Amino acid sequence: MAAAGWLSKDAAIIAVPIVTLLFGLLIGWLGQRSGFCSVGGFRDFFLFRHTRLLYGYLALIGGAFIGYLVFWLITPSAFENFFWLMGKGLMPVPGAPANLTVVAYIVLAVISGIAVGFIGVLLGGCPLRQVVMTSEGNIKSLCFVIGMCIGGVVFAAWVSGWGVTLLKGLGIA
Amino acid sequence: MAETKAVKEEHSSCIDSLARNPLYVGLAIGILAALVQVLLISAGGPEAYGFCVACHTRDVVNDGVNAVAGTKLALAAISQNAILPMMTVVGVLIGAFASARYYTEFKTKTGSTKSYVWYLLGGLLFMIFALFMGGCPYRMGLRIGYGDVVALIGLVAIVAGVFVGIKIATAIAEREG
Repeated sequence: MAAAGWLSKDAAIIAVPIVTLLFGLLIGWLGQRSGFCSVGGFRDFFLFRHTRLLYGYLALIGGAFIGYLVFWLITPSAFENFFWLMGKGLMPVPGAPANLTVVAYIVLAVISGIAVGFIGVLLGGCPLRQVVMTSEGNIKSLCFVIGMCIGGVVFAAWVSGWGVTLLKGLGIA
Repeated sequence: MAETKAVKEEHSSCIDSLARNPLYVGLAIGILAALVQVLLISAGGPEAYGFCVACHTRDVVNDGVNAVAGTKLALAAISQNAILPMMTVVGVLIGAFASARYYTEFKTKTGSTKSYVWYLLGGLLFMIFALFMGGCPYRMGLRIGYGDVVALIGLVAIVAGVFVGIKIATAIAEREG
């Protein structure tokens, strides 16, 4: 059975761009005011023991858990697999290339996570921070965002398939 | 000048001091991401998809490329089914721009051509790795809140990557220092 939220399917397909645009406007404003950054949070903690941004990111995890829990209690049909670990075990929430084994997903998470943290810290921020800095007039961040846009197409067209083939060749997918 | 200063001070108010604290901003993003799911999940999955800079950018760009070039690049079901994809990142761009203008913090910052190439390449690689992981650090956070252990492993790896990056950057800075 398909998951059902507060809006019917017909209403939701129209509401998606509107609701997410409003949500984005709010995040853009809050992100610009606070300098919110996930990678920056860990960086500031390691370098200076500053916890301001780090607590922000941890609050996001906590806020997400509280939000999912509360809305799940109100409307369980919108959160079919909450709490994920209880029903689905170690398989991740879909998003990464589909139909791989748990081991392959963990390998992908470890390699990609290290790369994401590494690139993020060397270029001065996570993707949200880069988008916000673009809006503040930073041309380097604009290049990062353009790179992300190209990366999305390149990934879907070629790299995703190569990665899966490689994992299968290594016998872990 | 005096006028803009007065505007600025007037708005260093209660709401602004909340907006300037990452703690409340993080809480708000997490809770609202859950609200987005309860509102919109009927349009399609995946779950824990309320906010992701990498995936939502991919959805907008790939949907545009598909429409223009007639390709079939993959995007999330919810963005595929809806009349337009998830517009969160477009909203962030506009919202942050409006905020930067309003608080007179907009300032064009340029860099060298070499730095532009590095940032372009960095963004490209960042996106590819983020999509292999199934999201940017923010969606990792949402997925952890949703109960996904692989996302937690991903976050530990991100922290390790940040740590290695700092070590290498400081080592280079010291050698050149």
